[in-house]
Amino acid sequence: MSEQALSRALSRRSQLARLKKQVSDLLFHAYGFWGYLFLYFPIIILVVFSFNDSRSTAQWAGFTTHWYADMLKDHQIILSLWNSLFVAIVSTTVSVIIGTLAALAMERYRFWGKLMMDAVLYLPIIIPDIAMAIMLLIFFDISGIGFEPWKVNFFGAHLAVPYSVIIGHVAFNISFVAVVVRARLAQMDQVLEEAAQDLYADPWRTFWRVTFPMLLPGILGGALLAFTLSMDDFVITFFTSGAGFNTLPVRVFGMIKKGVTPKINAVSTLMLLFSLMLVAISLILSRGGEKGDSSGNPMF
Amino acid sequence: MSETYAVELKNVVKQFGEVVAVNGISLRIRDGEFFSLLGPSGCGKTTTLRLIAGFEMPTSGSVRIYGEEQGYLPPYQRPVNTVFQNYALFPHMTVAQNVAFGLEMRKVPKDEIKRRVAEALALVRLTGKENRRPKQLSGGQKQRVALARALVNRPKVLLLDEPLGALDLKLRKAMQSELKALQEQVGITFIYVTHDQEEALVMSDRIAVMNEGNVLQVGTPEEIYEHPQSRFVADFIGKTNFISGKVAVISGDRVDFRLPDGTMVAATLPEGAQVSAGDMATLSIRPEKIFVTPEGEQPLVGDAEALSQVSGRLVKIFYVGVERRYIVALADDTEVEVRVQNLDRRSRRCQPGDRVTLHWRRAHARLLKE
Amino acid sequence: MSKLITWLRQRASLQAWLLLLPSALWLFIFFIAPLFIVLVYSFLERGTYGGVVWHFTLENYRRVFDPLYLKTFWRSFYIAVLTTVFTLVLGYPLAYYIATRPQRQRGTWVLGLMIPFWTNFLVRTYAWLTLLRTHTGLINLTLMHLGWIHKPLPLFGNDTAIIIGLVYGWLPDMVLPIYATLERLDRSLLEAAMDLYASGPKVFARVIWPLSLPGVVAGSMLVFIPSLGAFVTPAILGGGKALMIGNIISNQFLAAHDWPFGSALSFVMMAVMLVATLVYFRVTSDEERRQL
Repeated sequence: MSEQALSRALSRRSQLARLKKQVSDLLFHAYGFWGYLFLYFPIIILVVFSFNDSRSTAQWAGFTTHWYADMLKDHQIILSLWNSLFVAIVSTTVSVIIGTLAALAMERYRFWGKLMMDAVLYLPIIIPDIAMAIMLLIFFDISGIGFEPWKVNFFGAHLAVPYSVIIGHVAFNISFVAVVVRARLAQMDQVLEEAAQDLYADPWRTFWRVTFPMLLPGILGGALLAFTLSMDDFVITFFTSGAGFNTLPVRVFGMIKKGVTPKINAVSTLMLLFSLMLVAISLILSRGGEKGDSSGNPMF
Repeated sequence: MSETYAVELKNVVKQFGEVVAVNGISLRIRDGEFFSLLGPSGCGKTTTLRLIAGFEMPTSGSVRIYGEEQGYLPPYQRPVNTVFQNYALFPHMTVAQNVAFGLEMRKVPKDEIKRRVAEALALVRLTGKENRRPKQLSGGQKQRVALARALVNRPKVLLLDEPLGALDLKLRKAMQSELKALQEQVGITFIYVTHDQEEALVMSDRIAVMNEGNVLQVGTPEEIYEHPQSRFVADFIGKTNFISGKVAVISGDRVDFRLPDGTMVAATLPEGAQVSAGDMATLSIRPEKIFVTPEGEQPLVGDAEALSQVSGRLVKIFYVGVERRYIVALADDTEVEVRVQNLDRRSRRCQPGDRVTLHWRRAHARLLKE
Repeated sequence: MSKLITWLRQRASLQAWLLLLPSALWLFIFFIAPLFIVLVYSFLERGTYGGVVWHFTLENYRRVFDPLYLKTFWRSFYIAVLTTVFTLVLGYPLAYYIATRPQRQRGTWVLGLMIPFWTNFLVRTYAWLTLLRTHTGLINLTLMHLGWIHKPLPLFGNDTAIIIGLVYGWLPDMVLPIYATLERLDRSLLEAAMDLYASGPKVFARVIWPLSLPGVVAGSMLVFIPSLGAFVTPAILGGGKALMIGNIISNQFLAAHDWPFGSALSFVMMAVMLVATLVYFRVTSDEERRQL
């Protein structure tokens, strides 16, 4: 082969390789596009049809905000929203405090029974909600705790929230809080605590001046996760609430069972907005955490 | 009356489960001294430092600081401060808040804190960086904040755990002299942990060489370098040649030593070494203490006649700028390194493959028991 | 006070348990105890008017293996496996796509996954209900309107609908751990492989895939377990016809009032998951799990 022919063959080979790369890149981008479309398409349709001026959730008949007005007039929905918020706030508060303590114990100590506690903390995460739900149902039924409501005036709303629901929510949230806070603790260099002690801070002050501020993004991340899980939970609430108590998801499930209407789309859109807000907060939190030091995303 | 030491360790043992990290060491560190704990990683030097700081409690033995038994005192009740390996600056606090932390914990009045923080930052030349966060500082600056944060408390003893380890070579050299000057300025006892022998030699008043949880030798840098008492110390500090053979005659501190090929050489017996004629032993000779000449010639020194002579074959020459390194094989194939400054002309005539003669003074050949 | 602190200082185990006390109490009373009660219940007889009779029996477990229920079990298992496979096939390239975006963009792409991930599961399932319904669902209406089909496709009230719903619901759970392992992958390893004459597919087969396996296994666990125990998805998209084991269990409590049998069903379901979890712990190291 002449030198020219050789160089031509080589350049053809490199052109072919380039073309192959371009085609595969293009396919790859197309895949990414379709992947995200798959994730967002149903949500977008859901939102779009919440503004549909017809009872149909599939055929467009003009724009209206009628369903939102309808939703706001529905006392059952408003009450269930208050119930959801109340359960989420109370269960998050409790689970964040005791979950953080548990995380500290698990991450900072070696002690008798640690392996067992590891398993006990891990189980509520992996057990399917339906199993946990029926466990709690039987437990509340036979233990005599029952489904007594906690009557409370929550920002003017008169709620009757069964203790059993809150107890159940705390039971699954502890584990999630503990996992998130532990991850943060594991990242934290223990030498900082030693440095504080070296600088005359006793354990109590070491905790409040060093450990806690650095742990805060993790704790807030855990709180956010617990709050979301609590707001979103349907199965456990459904089984532990006894009769007549609705959180928003329980209410929505009941509505879906009765039939599809754009009003459900409207409620769903509201819930979606709420989730978006929580994602935004978590983003801000993780940014804040990064500024302080290299922290991960509190969502994991 | 006995002298009060800054830090006195007596038979300190620290075990982690089965692992013995510190194996019964005793040290006396004097007031105002720059004292280094030197050894390879895992030799127990950091554990020793942590025992003094109070992060670890000794399994047995006693730790005294200025005469006071520390026992189980927690770190926050000990009159010492630590500069940590990776500085351990609090990321959520500014430079000034970091430096003020210890004073706040000891409830020093606010205006005094302010004054002392400013002083400490001036001392480490960081005035003007008070409101920076640790993340916004360079490695050298972080290092200086860590120093200021410890020194501002006016500790009786400052503990430094490889404080320069994370810096690049050039900065490290600069910080070495800065740190030494600072120590002389403040007059506080420094206990300095390092695995870098050069760093220890340059900075310390005295050095303790450690290995496998034991202190092998304590002395000034010169004592440690010139008079190593064990094979480990000789090998760890600087470069040395080991030549094995048999002890023939001992008279005072003079030893006549027989190499495997029968050549007799003279060596010095370290103080307190227990050796008797007929024992197998090793000579340690620093490469720069040996002269190399073409076979049969004498080096150009006044006492050439008194030198021990060994012949060998020149294997290789490495040119390294300031010096040449000659690798010479002795009769039993032991390789000896000789370092010659690029001033000496005589050795330069030797080429690889040539027969050469090595010469050394008795004082430089130290006998180490096997 | 300080004496108490010194005393406590020397007792790490006690300190740890003090910190753990509230959560341990809570979980032992409201989780472990209920678990045991359910276990006990599963060996009891049902009472005539609901409730239980304290009489030991294995009947409930025998009934679980009744062809009627065994079939549902098997269907649930098959749906969960298919869901896992589909999320993996769809999710792996997606994770790979995100991991190969420029560093600065990756956060945005991950955020794109987090939004559906944080959206209420019920809402996401409901969204599919409006798309899949046989006569009034958007997909069938659109396809018929376009004249591509003349008769609605059977998209609702069957296993297909449930699998679509589950795949959609759990896709982010598959993508995120895989992405985590891929993102951590050292680029120089890929370069080393290419330098050693491995072509694209070979680099994938010999380097990328094996190194991303911990993420794949973790993702599969995160999808398989909730899919097997699914309750909401079949309840909504199954249209009352296609049921999974989760629905059978709930029926024992809500309709049939056969708590012992429901308990036995739950235990068998949990046993399957326990096996899956044990396999997971067997095939992965502590180190690998920590990285996720």
